Amino acid sequence: MKIRKTTIIVHIIAWSVALIWILPFLGVFMASIRPVREIIYGWWNFDPFNPTLKNFIEAWNHSMFPLWRGVLNSFIVAIPSTIIPLFLGALAGYGFARFSFPIKNYIFLTIVLLMAMPQQSVAIPLYMMMNSLGLIDNYIGLITVHSAWGLPWIILFMRNFFSTLPVEVEEAARVDGASSFKIFYKIVLPMALPALASVVVLQFMWVWSDFFLALILIYDPDLLLATQRVPRIAFGAFHVDWGILSAGSIIVMAVPIIVFALLQKYYIRGMIGWTVKG
Amino acid sequence: MARVVLKNLTKRFGEVVAVDKLSLEVRDKEFVVFLGPSGSGKTTALRCIAGLEIPDEGEIYIGDEFVNDLEPKDRDVAMVFQSYALYPHMTVFQNLAFPLECAKVPKAEIKGRVQRVAGLLKMEELLERKPRQLSGGQQQRVALGRAIIREPQVFLMDEPLSNLDAKLRVYMRAELKNLQKEIGVTTIYVTHDQIEAMTMADRIAILNEGLLQQFDSPDGVYSKPSNVFVAGFVGSPPTNFFDCTLTEEGFLDAGEFKYPLPKDLAEALARTSTSNELILGVRPQHVKVYKQRKAEIGLIKAYLYTTEPLGEMMILDLKVGDNLVKAIVNPDFEVAEELWIEFPIDKVYLFDKKTGKSLV
Repeated sequence: MKIRKTTIIVHIIAWSVALIWILPFLGVFMASIRPVREIIYGWWNFDPFNPTLKNFIEAWNHSMFPLWRGVLNSFIVAIPSTIIPLFLGALAGYGFARFSFPIKNYIFLTIVLLMAMPQQSVAIPLYMMMNSLGLIDNYIGLITVHSAWGLPWIILFMRNFFSTLPVEVEEAARVDGASSFKIFYKIVLPMALPALASVVVLQFMWVWSDFFLALILIYDPDLLLATQRVPRIAFGAFHVDWGILSAGSIIVMAVPIIVFALLQKYYIRGMIGWTVKG
Repeated sequence: MARVVLKNLTKRFGEVVAVDKLSLEVRDKEFVVFLGPSGSGKTTALRCIAGLEIPDEGEIYIGDEFVNDLEPKDRDVAMVFQSYALYPHMTVFQNLAFPLECAKVPKAEIKGRVQRVAGLLKMEELLERKPRQLSGGQQQRVALGRAIIREPQVFLMDEPLSNLDAKLRVYMRAELKNLQKEIGVTTIYVTHDQIEAMTMADRIAILNEGLLQQFDSPDGVYSKPSNVFVAGFVGSPPTNFFDCTLTEEGFLDAGEFKYPLPKDLAEALARTSTSNELILGVRPQHVKVYKQRKAEIGLIKAYLYTTEPLGEMMILDLKVGDNLVKAIVNPDFEVAEELWIEFPIDKVYLFDKKTGKSLV
């Protein structure tokens, strides 16, 4: 089989880009599974090479900032922060896709514009508002902010997806005797499963990886999230422990990757085969 | 089982009047076809009856009930869509059961009714499949089954056969017609295919640009078209038309030829038409073609343009002046460059050019 020149070039470019991403990760990974003294002169020196899980265990059971507690806290925050905006965003997106009401387009435009707002610009007002509501050091506050922050993109995303679904299927359900709400949860949501899976993956990943909002709203050492603990576990009395830092990073990184792996079946399946062609 | 009555039904989309003062009555157990070209308002009218569109004016009655303000689910109608609109994530069984679940029919009864409908439509072995695992014809049957299972007062069908291949469509035409008679449910069927309309309907409502053109039996719309549009739309190949002027001597002057009229007919035309400008129409099936001039008057000289052999018959395309005339002859007809054609007086249609309305 003859391989075309363009194919080779595309592959070279793709591999180069991939290497830019993979190399630092490889560095972190190597640092996490080896003692500090082995990597101090570069992780690419493999003499000596004594792989160990010690860094992971130390990070997980850190005496002051145990990472297991951070992972648990992050789940407590990330799960509701994914489900709440998913549910509200899907409902609102369906409304924007299928119903007409006054100033619909202006409201939608406002929602889209909200996506452009940087978190940093509202950091201080957000802190002051949450402080006056007594929601500092309180997960309800953080979950509310995450949910609100996720809503605009989820509404936009779900509305666009719902617009691609054949409206006749919903009309058939209406004639068949289903109420609007029944059509939504029995017909529309199952058809939107690939889109819902995409929302879950992305929203969960963003909430899980968030550092900034947690930094503003959570201070209690017991309540610190996983991302907040990673820099803290690395500082010993006299030096930075790169091994523990790397192990902690990998633990925190692994969770969204697992979520993606679990849902990728739906994520990749996309819409193929979900709507019936005529 | 019920009749459907439309009174002055009007639906506008912005400036466009999709359905314009449509009034008609579909009798109990009748199979009525709404026939028209795309944009004629036939689907919009059907969707108004289903409750999927809200009419701007007019009244809709199903049975004796005024249904304008009722939701689709409260109208007791079932609809088959052109794309079938099956629920893609449900099995065939679940698709069929859905309308019954919505009506809160007990589980045990649902199972029995699904089995019965599946038996009727010969798809018992498909019940566990998803729609995407079915062929077009099978999907079509599921869509029909989902309509039948409700035992509604009225079936509404929006071009249900147009996505099937030609062979299956011909087969399903007879199946559907037979099924409708068997179940005896009032049916309104929308199509742009005049053969479907002619073969299946008890009566055909022909629509164009939102207006009802004629509402009559298949034979009625074919042999007594009420206007130029109906005469041109029903029948294949379409009717030949000639613009002509009614002369004082009682001829129709089409420029290239003069068509003699019986005296009483000429007088009647002069009385009923808005002007002396008329349209003469004759179906290709009714054009008589001769190789020799047989009579002094009434025959028209034509030149052969081309032939279209179809096996059991042949279409001759003939030139009369600038007009192209289609005539159907036997396949063994010996063609010649010069031919003579005749339009039998009892087969021609005469229309007022200004109004388009039939004058005979």
